Amino acid sequence: MSGTVTPTAAPRTAGPARRAGPGGLGSYLVRSDAPRQRSHRNFVLRRDRRGVWFVVPFLVVFLLFLVTPLLYAVYQSLYTSKLVGGTSFSGLANYRQTLENGAFWSGFLRVCIFAAIQIPVMLVMSFFFAAMFDLGVARFGKFWRTVFFIPFAVPAVVGRVMWAFLLDPSSGPFTHLIHELGFKGSNFFSSSLMVPTIIVIAIWEWTGYNMMILYTALRAVPREVVEAAVMDGASLSRLVLRVKFPMVRPAMVMLVFLNVIGALQLFTEPLLLGAFQPQAISDAFTPTLYIYNTGIGGGQYDLAAAAAVVLALLVVIISVGSLAFRRGKGERE
Amino acid sequence: MTTTAPVPATTNSGFRSRRAVRREAQRQADLMATVPLRLYGLRKGTVNFITILCGLFAIFTLAPIVWILINSTKNQANIFESFGFWFSRPFVLWHNFTNLFQDVEGDGVYIEWLGNTALYAVLGGVGCTILSTLAGYGFARFSFRGAKASFFLVISALLVPITAISLPLYLVYAKIGLINSLWGMVLPSLVSPVGVYLMRTFIRGSVPRELLDAARIDGAGEVWIFLRVVVPLIIPGMMTVLLISVVGVWNNFFLPLIIFTKENLYPLTVGIANWANRAVSGGDANVFPLILIGCVVTIVPLIILFVVLQRYWKSGLLFGSLTG
Repeated sequence: MSGTVTPTAAPRTAGPARRAGPGGLGSYLVRSDAPRQRSHRNFVLRRDRRGVWFVVPFLVVFLLFLVTPLLYAVYQSLYTSKLVGGTSFSGLANYRQTLENGAFWSGFLRVCIFAAIQIPVMLVMSFFFAAMFDLGVARFGKFWRTVFFIPFAVPAVVGRVMWAFLLDPSSGPFTHLIHELGFKGSNFFSSSLMVPTIIVIAIWEWTGYNMMILYTALRAVPREVVEAAVMDGASLSRLVLRVKFPMVRPAMVMLVFLNVIGALQLFTEPLLLGAFQPQAISDAFTPTLYIYNTGIGGGQYDLAAAAAVVLALLVVIISVGSLAFRRGKGERE
Repeated sequence: MTTTAPVPATTNSGFRSRRAVRREAQRQADLMATVPLRLYGLRKGTVNFITILCGLFAIFTLAPIVWILINSTKNQANIFESFGFWFSRPFVLWHNFTNLFQDVEGDGVYIEWLGNTALYAVLGGVGCTILSTLAGYGFARFSFRGAKASFFLVISALLVPITAISLPLYLVYAKIGLINSLWGMVLPSLVSPVGVYLMRTFIRGSVPRELLDAARIDGAGEVWIFLRVVVPLIIPGMMTVLLISVVGVWNNFFLPLIIFTKENLYPLTVGIANWANRAVSGGDANVFPLILIGCVVTIVPLIILFVVLQRYWKSGLLFGSLTG
């Protein structure tokens, strides 16, 4: 098969690679001339340096469109623009204003409550279904799997529009249903039920996706492990909780992180449901909504930039903090 | 003879199509990986109970979709007055559908949104897949100076909320004139730390170092090796990243919401949200059927994409079980 990897093809396409190596064209000669040991080390060094060129395109876009905006936000947040008097350096004033803003913190608390309820419920359901499908316990497993995954293909905006109609206080079928069931006068979009409603919608949207990732992780558990447990007479629940779960724990940890980060930037749901029920969604219902309304809506870009930086820092603190906590716990065990 | 990996091992099976062979292999692998159910000593009742739970959750999952499919065939009055989960007369699906292309204002803006969304998603998704694959390969199989540090930087970007990036992006765009620009939407979509992470993991699992070194000994250039040896081995992984990134751009809402001020540049998500806001605030008559049919038309291309790429999607995520 080495016929497909012909040396004659190399000089044509090896442009950036050739430039990167110290030997240039001579790299083909080094191999036969130099002592074997040194030649191998050169070979490895040269090969590794060439690898930079594969990473560079991504890193350039990454720096320009992810790192630069962040740095610019930090810069902008240190200034204050006024209608009269222009822009002036104001130090941490914008941060003080954000941190002292009660609405920002109540919004943050709200997404924390949201995350604390939605993520565990969703992940338990995702894991339950994933484990059942993996073990083949449920009938028609493949069909259910596909069905559960469908909401992932539905754009968040479309999902919200559908749910807004279904839960509409005056004409929504689900509202009628719950009234029939005896909860007369309950309104999914009232201030007290708003967060639970958003939780239900988020569970609808993301359970299938999380289930799919856990399912594929579970499939990768070697059959021998399961067989051994079955031979030892492990019950189904023991098999799932004591054998399978520990083996997919890394995937689970990753999902917790991604979901927490997603939950803290909750935006689409409140924005769209707010259109349907303005009095239940304040301008600072979630931190991201606050950033949006302050910056794009209110034109106070400096303040919004400060809030964006604060939100990013809060996410980093929570993630790194929980990582450190996990590591500390792991060492104790 | 170390470079035989790209050639299917089953070329001797004569007239059976490659796809049939692959499907059979997948079935065999599934059988091998699953312990027969009877060994668990389950009662029939348990199986039924779990199946019923699945059915209940499926109803919950499908209810909104069934509802929107049914109600996209109704006129405005019936959307609110008739029973939500059954059809009613008049059946105006086709009428609603053609209305999409005329629009309330008569300028056919919906079709522009559809075109915009497709353009952003294809450019963003394909570009993101290419960049992620290149970077994933670089990180997985080379150890140049700074590789670890830059990979760590990329991974820590996972922690930064997208919305925290979008507003600063808007501020930068305002400075350099990328507001209301196609590239303002596409270029940030090319950056996917998840994509790089997935490709790196995938390449580690499915592209053996020995194979690359063998090609190098034979004198192949790095670009040639990448295109002819690496890429054919990692197509499933690339398809997964493509799917994730296309869906990501297609569904993106916050970024286009703030960087586009011209209606004819909107993607579907922003356009539909706009319609919904206008409809609810009571300005437009008869815009609800338009929103519903607009939602249906938005979902359909994605579901088609899912069906086409589903095989890759499943196998692509099975990093661990792929042979390396």
